[in-house]
Order: sequence, then structure tokens, then C-alpha cells
Amino acid sequence: MIEILPAPWEVILGHARACYPRECCGILLGEVGADGGRRVTIAVACVNAYDGDQADRFELAPADQFEAQRLARREGLEVLGFFHSHPDCDAYFSATDLAHSWPWYSNLVVCVRQGEFDHARAFRANETQTESTPEELICPKS
Amino acid sequence: MPQILIPAPLRQYAAGQSSVEAPGATVAEVLTALTSKYPDLRKHLFNDQGALRSFVNVYVADEDIRYLQKEQTAVSANETLTIVPSIAGGAR
Ligand SMILES: [Zn+2]
Repeated sequence: MIEILPAPWEVILGHARACYPRECCGILLGEVGADGGRRVTIAVACVNAYDGDQADRFELAPADQFEAQRLARREGLEVLGFFHSHPDCDAYFSATDLAHSWPWYSNLVVCVRQGEFDHARAFRANETQTESTPEELICPKS
Repeated sequence: MPQILIPAPLRQYAAGQSSVEAPGATVAEVLTALTSKYPDLRKHLFNDQGALRSFVNVYVADEDIRYLQKEQTAVSANETLTIVPSIAGGAR
């Protein structure tokens, strides 16, 4: 389960709208509860570093990841995962997403249609990045 | 001894620790010492040819080793190595 608080949710949606019709990406920071449930308290909007057509691709810059890890340590938080958008495309976890993911992390995919938020889903990859499973997502109503 | 910060997905292979110390004067030496101590980490950091996997970025202090001397980058005893997972994707 991953819960996203209102402040990071607004950051995610704002970034997804602003980047439309290109994919946006960013990093989710927060806490893991005693029951394993995840709560995102900070979302960091990042530059899409993919060198090519960003309508259906994204890449996080390692420098942004490094800074986010540092921020997480400073705040006593954890990098819980990542978010990206699918412009005019359903919020599924594609083969490309899976191939370039890491296990353990939560992957939030946000569908943006005609520049507006439509729906979102979360996924986790298995250890070998051969399969993903949906993760229960709790987010503010939009 | 240099310290290595382990990202969450790899901690299960390092006895659950988020930071580990390992000896060495270069990135290659430190990571080799790390994976000797925790052999399960090896396949997550190195490919079959023994090079760092392309999904793995390493920082020494604030610098990405790709822009330094890569795995031969020098590491001093009080420096920190950070393992940074590489993440990308796309709808198609
Ligand atoms: Zn995607």
C-alpha cells in the first residue's frame, strides 16, 4: 500500500500537467510504517533527462536521484519510489517501465489526457524485473 | 574506512544495513571488498563481465564517477560512496 499526502500529490499532478504532452518524472520520499505501508510526504519534480522524443519516454538524471537520497537522509525519510506520467495513455506499467525499474520501489504512473489529470496507479517490479504487480494506491480526490 | 550508502532495494543483500564500511583506495576496490563481505550484492552491482551494471550509478562524495575516473576513481578513507539506482521508462 502506498498513500500520497495532499502536498506531494499536488506536486505530482502539477508536474504532469506542466510537462504535457511530454512525460514527466520525479521522486517519492516518505516513510515506511511498521506494517510495511508507505506514506509519501515529499514529491520531488525532476527534469526528464531522456535524450529523444519525450512523448512516451522518461529518464531520471542520476544527479537528481543523488540529491533526493541526500534530502531523504537529512529529513529522516526514505526514497520510496518514483512517479512519471503517460500523456494520453492509460496508467499501466509498460514493458519499457519494467525493464528500466528496480525492485522494492513504488512506481506511480499518472495518466494525463488533453493536459488534465485522468487517473493514476502504482506498481512494483519483482526481483528480476520480469513482472510487475499493482500496489494499492491511496491518494487525495482530484 | 570509506562508507557506502546502500539504496533500499539492495539492503536485504547487505544484512539490512543502509550504510556499510569497506576498505579500498578506489571505487573498484571498495566495491570488491563490499561484495566479498556480502556476496549476494555482487549480481546486483556487477554484470557477468565484472563491470558495473548500467543500471547502477556510483557517486564518490558529490561526484558521479562517470565524470571522474569511473571505477578507478580514488576514494579516501573518510569519503562516502553512494549507490544510485538508474531509473527510466516510457508508455511505449
Ligand atoms: Zn510508464
